[in-house]
Amino acid sequence: MNSQTTSFANVHPLIDQFGARIANQLDAATQQLPHDVSERLRAARTQALAKRRVDETEAAGSVTSQGGSAVLGGGFGLWGRAASWLPLVALTVGLVGIGTLQDQMRATEIAEVDVELLTGELPTTAYTDPGFAQYLKHGTQD
Amino acid sequence: MASEKELDAFLRGVEKRAFKRSLYHVRNQESALDIVQDSMMKLAQHYGHKPVEELPMLFQRILTNSTLDWFRRQKTQNALFTHLGDFESSEDGSEFDLLETLLQNNETDHVDNPQGQAERAQTLHTIEEEIQDLPVRQREAFLMRYWEDMNVAETASAMGCSQGSVKTHCSRAVAALAKALRARGIFL
Repeated sequence: MNSQTTSFANVHPLIDQFGARIANQLDAATQQLPHDVSERLRAARTQALAKRRVDETEAAGSVTSQGGSAVLGGGFGLWGRAASWLPLVALTVGLVGIGTLQDQMRATEIAEVDVELLTGELPTTAYTDPGFAQYLKHGTQD
Repeated sequence: MASEKELDAFLRGVEKRAFKRSLYHVRNQESALDIVQDSMMKLAQHYGHKPVEELPMLFQRILTNSTLDWFRRQKTQNALFTHLGDFESSEDGSEFDLLETLLQNNETDHVDNPQGQAERAQTLHTIEEEIQDLPVRQREAFLMRYWEDMNVAETASAMGCSQGSVKTHCSRAVAALAKALRARGIFL
């Protein structure tokens, strides 16, 4: 066991040295790449750098558009968006309420006129008589 | 944040080794180029804003993941990882054999054996073949540790394993390479 440990400790620097020697050989092999491979690698590098430029531009555009939407009220939560509809709902309810009230007031006025006509001493046909209409006109003026 | 010039310089510095590393794994030039291109795009797109000193580790990790993705797409991952069983086949006393081999290699290191251009190219080719024949995790650990010059902790982080596993992978890879190269008459 002890001798094994000793030899393992001895062999480790040799392993690293041998690994480094092979790596040197691989470096030499790498320098002899065919021209078309070198060109493909150069094109890949250029494409990667172009991709980075495009992404940077898009990221900048995204930040700008996000800023604009924030000004317009974007970025609120569900309740925030619901609250933004509240004024419109209130306006609609108000308009409907006003319309209903006006209809009721008009109906009440007409009903009062009808009551006056029906409960008066004169028959309702008298108001359609032209002579009576002239009498009313002159009588009121006198 | 790395400037465009710094990112360009970084990619220029690692692209050839990245290509070779991928090639050792996938053994197909077009696929290796695709993997490197994909890795470069991912680095530039997602990590281009990182400080330049963080780029090497990030790139190694992306390259490893892109290579694994390629294997997944090829549906050959299972076949590859059958080599993982090799890690458990350690024999008692293997360190002694390795020590002997490495010491012999060291002795021959001093031998001055002038070789011609073709012979040197053949030697490089043989070394690359033997690296390709390593089990995938051993190859990955070896290349990161010795070729990319990453320390044990960085290699472990990039590979997603323990530092002890990295040491084991590396020592077994070196032992296998030393043995195989010696058998083919190559002494480093």
